[in-house]
Amino acid sequence: MKSRIIPIFKKEFIHISRDFRTLMIVIAMPAAMLFLYGYAINMEIQNIDLIVLDRDKSPESAALTRKFEGSKFFTVSQYNGPESQLETFFNDRRARAILIVSSDFSKNLQRQPRSDVQVLIDASDPNAAQAIRNYTNAVFQSFNADLGSRGVFEIETAIWYNPALKSAYFFVPGLAALILMMISALLTSIAIVREKETGTMEQILVSPIRPIEIIIGKVIPYILLAFIDLLIILVIAHWVFDVPFVGNIGFLLAASLVFIFTALSLGLTISTRAETQQVAMMAALLVTLLPTIMLSGFIFPLESLPKILQLLTYAVPARYYLVAIRGIMLKGNTLMQLLPQISVLAAMSIFLIIVSAKKFKTTLES
Amino acid sequence: MQQILYLIQKEFRQIFRDKPMLFITFFAPVVQMTILGFALTVDVKNIKTVIADYDRTPVSQEICRRFENNSYFAVKGYIEGQTNLREKIDDWQAQLAIIIPKGFSKDSERRMRPEIQIIVDGLDGNSAGIALGYAQGILADYAAELLTNNLSPTAYQRNAGSVEPQTRMWYNLDLESKNYMVPGLIAVLLTVVSMFLSSMGLVREKEIGTLEQLMVTPIKTWQLILGKVLPFFILGFFALALMLAVAFVVFQLTVAGNLVLLFSLSALYLLSTLGLGIFISTLAHTQQQAMFISWFFMIFMIFMSGFLFPIANMPEAWQRATYLNPLRYYVNLLREIFLKATPVEFLWIEIIPLAIFGLVILSASAMKFRKRVS
Repeated sequence: MKSRIIPIFKKEFIHISRDFRTLMIVIAMPAAMLFLYGYAINMEIQNIDLIVLDRDKSPESAALTRKFEGSKFFTVSQYNGPESQLETFFNDRRARAILIVSSDFSKNLQRQPRSDVQVLIDASDPNAAQAIRNYTNAVFQSFNADLGSRGVFEIETAIWYNPALKSAYFFVPGLAALILMMISALLTSIAIVREKETGTMEQILVSPIRPIEIIIGKVIPYILLAFIDLLIILVIAHWVFDVPFVGNIGFLLAASLVFIFTALSLGLTISTRAETQQVAMMAALLVTLLPTIMLSGFIFPLESLPKILQLLTYAVPARYYLVAIRGIMLKGNTLMQLLPQISVLAAMSIFLIIVSAKKFKTTLES
Repeated sequence: MQQILYLIQKEFRQIFRDKPMLFITFFAPVVQMTILGFALTVDVKNIKTVIADYDRTPVSQEICRRFENNSYFAVKGYIEGQTNLREKIDDWQAQLAIIIPKGFSKDSERRMRPEIQIIVDGLDGNSAGIALGYAQGILADYAAELLTNNLSPTAYQRNAGSVEPQTRMWYNLDLESKNYMVPGLIAVLLTVVSMFLSSMGLVREKEIGTLEQLMVTPIKTWQLILGKVLPFFILGFFALALMLAVAFVVFQLTVAGNLVLLFSLSALYLLSTLGLGIFISTLAHTQQQAMFISWFFMIFMIFMSGFLFPIANMPEAWQRATYLNPLRYYVNLLREIFLKATPVEFLWIEIIPLAIFGLVILSASAMKFRKRVS
């Protein structure tokens, strides 16, 4: 059996290395995607344009403004015109937040235990608005502490694994899942359908090779390619984006192999059903790309999805792999901790392989 | 003029005969909008939380109660011991932990300022930051409340006053993601529909050879392009109206700004996408290639538009690249008009580049189209 797989494997490799386009997709695309999107996907809100309308002009209000100027999140500018003009700052997008200090601010501060200032936030982007609110609250807390007024207890915070809350830590390993899924599922599905389209599949089928041998021989080169991609991604993640690597590299590679296997079997399943390359490609894009982006936790937190979409996410392989790669790279998760995820992936690939092998056999017989 | 009308008539007949094409135009946007409108949520809800309460007094229980009653947090249980806590966060069972030390309530009464600890899993930096903000807010409120409740009037004199920010969220009171995402989604889907349709439509004629036939008729190139583009223009308008209806019916979103302004700016934007469609059709020989090239353009346009990822957070070079992306302007325009009812005088920063882009790409691809034909 072994001796018959190797020729198929060699043939597939020759196919791939002759096809310049495919090679480009496999080698250049992951790196390009990682560079392009690794930098583009950044949720850290910075340089918030804040306009201060200071009606009080007291040392206290000046101190408050200085507090905002001292924060690295805000770019502060002063405004002294009428209040009715304030909305134009949101309309022409010169400000994302406005701080209004009323004329009795310093007086109130001495007389009352709690005095108010108004903060207006352009909340059309709700995510940014939340971040802006958190940053302003932090500035006020530090201002109050300077005044000598503090609540009855201290709040101590500790951020684990990603103290600077960098987006890249989260998204770059996520991109690995997306790229591996695309390469493995898309390329295998096309590879088999191409043979069907050009009619060479018939030629292979009349040879004494068994279907399972054909499948193995065709799939192994893509496993190798996906592995090369994985290594490219890991190198860029660690040395370009400074994503730490605390876990076991051997374990990560093993877990990735399971995921690559799942993706490949998904591609195989598609290819046994599709008749033309075009259909195969559309199907592969539809069942791999979109769910991997939208329903895997790659960008959007799964807990925030509506219930029915949450159920759908259990069928998305990337959902499990994302936990694994992020967990191993950043948290140092071990096999015991990731057993549920990896077993689901393994079960999925076995199921898909059986389905596609059955289908493959019937095509052969008919 | 007459010739163009004939062409348009022919084009419409072709479109209505082609069921997959109609499907792409009308059905797909509705389904995609409904699903994605719900799926694309950056809301941070149900943050998995564990609490370690070593104090077990009414004060500490009040803190637990406040976290349990807050919809942002889903309290998954109470724990003891640091190792247990580490395990929970390592195992993805909790994203946030609150630790209330022993003697907490007694110490705060005695003004010893005990420390309450929040630990957050920072992996997903965005939701971690937001979760941390909520937790700090709850605790800071309670700390201030305890202070005012316990203080006698004379104590005010010794304690300095404090400042409370009164925050108002304009345009999106409840901070709902859909209010921001749905207008962006409409912009993206309109791009998909118009670019795919126009590029595939022209390439199909190439594939089946009818383009040659059209060429030998006395019709002029510009008439041909106009006759090809106008139907897609009209279809794009239909798709837009349909999506606005979905926004209203499914998401209860209405356009706060001027509807006429929205449609006329969309018309301006269609110049760009249809121009790109023609451009793609000159590059591709088969529909499959056209689809692939369109995909490539789409992914770039979506990522670099600010639709999902704020442009202001990108590196300088990336930000500059986004100025070449017509979708960037259109996403902004739709959001401004939809949510903020921004009047036209504040929108020129988007309208002018969009107009320039549309005219340049449309005339360039029309020229390329003609050259290639001759």
